[in-house]
Amino acid sequence: MAKKDSFNIAAALQGMMIIIVALLTVEASSLIQYFYSQRIIKEEAERRAQGQLDATELNINSIVDQVETAVRNNLWSASIQVTNPDSLWNLVRGIVKDNPVIYGSSIALMENYSKTEGRMFAPYAHREGNDIVFGQLGTEEYDYLSKEWFVKPLETGGGYWSEPYYDEGGGDMLMTTYSIPVKDRKGRTAAVLTADVSLDWLNSLLEGVQVYPNSFNMLVSRTGKIMLAPAETLVMQKTVQELAAQQDDSSTFNSINKAMLSGERGSVSFKYKGKVNYMFFNQVARTGWSMSIVIPHDEIYGSVNKMGKTVLLTQIIGILMLILVLWASLFRQKKMQEVTVSKNRIEDELKVARGIQMSMLPKILPPYPETSDVDMSAIIVPAKEVGGDLYDFFVRNEKMFFCIGDVSGKGVPASLVMAVTRSLFRTLAAHEISPQRIVTTMNESMSATNESNMFVTLFCGVLDLQSGHLRYCNAGHNAPYLVKADGPVQLSVEPNLPLAVLENTPYSEQEMDLTTGEGLFLYTDGLNEAEDSSLVQFGEKRLEKALNSILSASDQVKVMTDAVKIFVGGAPQSDDLTILYIKYMNNVDVETAERHLILHNDIQQIPQLADFIESVADLAHLDVGTTMSINLALEEAVSNVIMYAYPEGSDGLVDIEAIIRKDMLRFIISDNGIAFDPTAAPDADVNLDLEDRPIGGLGIFLVKNIMDTVSYQRSDGKNILTMTKKLS
Amino acid sequence: MEVRITEKENVISVAMVGRLDTAVSQEVAGKMQPVLDEAQKTIILDCKELSYISSSGLRIFLTVRKAAAAKGGKVIVRDINNEIRQVFMMTGFLNLFEIQES
Repeated sequence: MAKKDSFNIAAALQGMMIIIVALLTVEASSLIQYFYSQRIIKEEAERRAQGQLDATELNINSIVDQVETAVRNNLWSASIQVTNPDSLWNLVRGIVKDNPVIYGSSIALMENYSKTEGRMFAPYAHREGNDIVFGQLGTEEYDYLSKEWFVKPLETGGGYWSEPYYDEGGGDMLMTTYSIPVKDRKGRTAAVLTADVSLDWLNSLLEGVQVYPNSFNMLVSRTGKIMLAPAETLVMQKTVQELAAQQDDSSTFNSINKAMLSGERGSVSFKYKGKVNYMFFNQVARTGWSMSIVIPHDEIYGSVNKMGKTVLLTQIIGILMLILVLWASLFRQKKMQEVTVSKNRIEDELKVARGIQMSMLPKILPPYPETSDVDMSAIIVPAKEVGGDLYDFFVRNEKMFFCIGDVSGKGVPASLVMAVTRSLFRTLAAHEISPQRIVTTMNESMSATNESNMFVTLFCGVLDLQSGHLRYCNAGHNAPYLVKADGPVQLSVEPNLPLAVLENTPYSEQEMDLTTGEGLFLYTDGLNEAEDSSLVQFGEKRLEKALNSILSASDQVKVMTDAVKIFVGGAPQSDDLTILYIKYMNNVDVETAERHLILHNDIQQIPQLADFIESVADLAHLDVGTTMSINLALEEAVSNVIMYAYPEGSDGLVDIEAIIRKDMLRFIISDNGIAFDPTAAPDADVNLDLEDRPIGGLGIFLVKNIMDTVSYQRSDGKNILTMTKKLS
Repeated sequence: MEVRITEKENVISVAMVGRLDTAVSQEVAGKMQPVLDEAQKTIILDCKELSYISSSGLRIFLTVRKAAAAKGGKVIVRDINNEIRQVFMMTGFLNLFEIQES
């Protein structure tokens, strides 16, 4: 009786230990996940903000362009007509009339230039509703000869954008003036030609689009004057410096001010009213204005915190279930009073649990286009007793991340550690590209919480699918074989410690290049140490003999498992046998470039798309015809989003990403608008007679015809249209 | 995008200069309205300086063609470049329009 009780206590203790180990490892991995998610989300916020700033800069530049071009186009006429002041009225009228973006225009003569018109003469035309009205600027009250817009261009001898100001005559309108000196036919400086531009459009441009619900935009002039801010009271009343002086964190504000005004691009965090905010800024080179987007900290990280809670909840449920299973097992054990039976019962149940874990390991790659670059196959042959082998692989950003590992020891604890190892790998490899850093972080996490003194051998690799470049880190695992045309060779691996042995262990990374047709054969010691009935091991000689680069991945795995099966005969195996075979199949030696554009849902932005395609075409060395057809396909797809994705009158964005490779071009167009699958529309019938031909419906038809693949996906509330064009 | 419309001896000539993309198509459609009203005449769409066309531009072409068919007029598309010819081919427009080289 006493013996039985002591066993129950021991079993309960063992159960408790398992729960503690599971708890610690799960918590450690979720902490890492939390940390990485935060970083990713910050990067995403930065990408969105800077993309927004770039788009705004493009917008501002396009207006600036229009104004400068309009003024320059009239420079020649002005230089001819300046000697005949009366004719200048018509000139300034024409500038305003032909250019909707220009609010007013003037040609201000130099002091005493005209013999007939007195000391100052500046005919001025400006809009009032639909009319154009005239006035003469140079008066006793308004001495333009000392005004910034007049003096500065004469100093610099070229075009000048004035500091923004409130229009004194025409109501409360924020304006800026572009002015340029005019020389007469004798080469003397005769006048300054100006165009006034209202900055109202800036308001709508910057206010309309918010990267996050409570983010806001700010525009600051060359001298630090605030041109646009969320609080109307700040606009034009203050400089950033004055604003800084009122804040609890004035030194940070001053450094932001300095960075913004120096024309830098970047980001900074600061405290405002006790809350942390991030500010991203960028300068419009043409005018010297600096734009910034301020996003509250909580807004960026809100989703991580929410995610953290969900993860925590799932973990708690999982652990509760584990406790329940163990408790049920112990209870049953007591009732049956049969020690060995209940022990087997626990083993059986955990075997089932491990079967579920195994079924979570990937069997085939998902059908991404990249995966034609690789042929792979994997298998785990489980031993009689539960062990701890694992492998995993997935593709991210055209790189394949993979690992194979073996947990020391067997039984319940090994299978638990195996599950944790695999989930750590998944979490880390989702954000990290260096196998050395993945392995190092895994080791830190696992050795810190290693109560059970178990360790894991692991080989972790990252294969670039375009170049065949392989980076790998081996933590005490068997060296894989490199299967080449002239036979297999063992990959050179550095002798790093297995995982979970020692904290702060340095791990080294190695690299090599796979050429097409070469394979990487990874395995666990269940393969080379498989024993026949007389305890002779399968060994490396037999293993090497079964490797052949001619075989496809799945054939190679089958040849190997058959060879082992024949060798061992009916002898029961004590260890799992795991194989992961990766054959590199890509023969295109390509470099990749990426370009990115964000547009508003405004059809007038289509010319910017054309410029963008032009730059992409340059990178890809496309001929004129291909460039035009790509441009056409993109315009159709993007204008579709601009016109229909967002409710009328609301502001929205279209995100266009271009991936440029030697052998293909890929565009990914995404938006947050209403769900719509353009590829689902029936194809236009281009053989119909004139009477039956519908006027529309050609857009998506053109996209499908020009591109080689077009696919639609709805995910995370986004419409994502991916289209690829093969290049020869 | 510039659209120069001239009329001589009952022939309306529409010279299109630049890119006929979605951004300008509405404006161009507006300028073409008087041409549609006169679609019983011969209309020459002069594309010598038209560098690019999108589906919204093709709609305008088709609208003119339909108006001409309804009013008994005639539409001639003149001097399209190779790229636009490609688009015409893809969309079956080569069969709907009389295409001329000057």
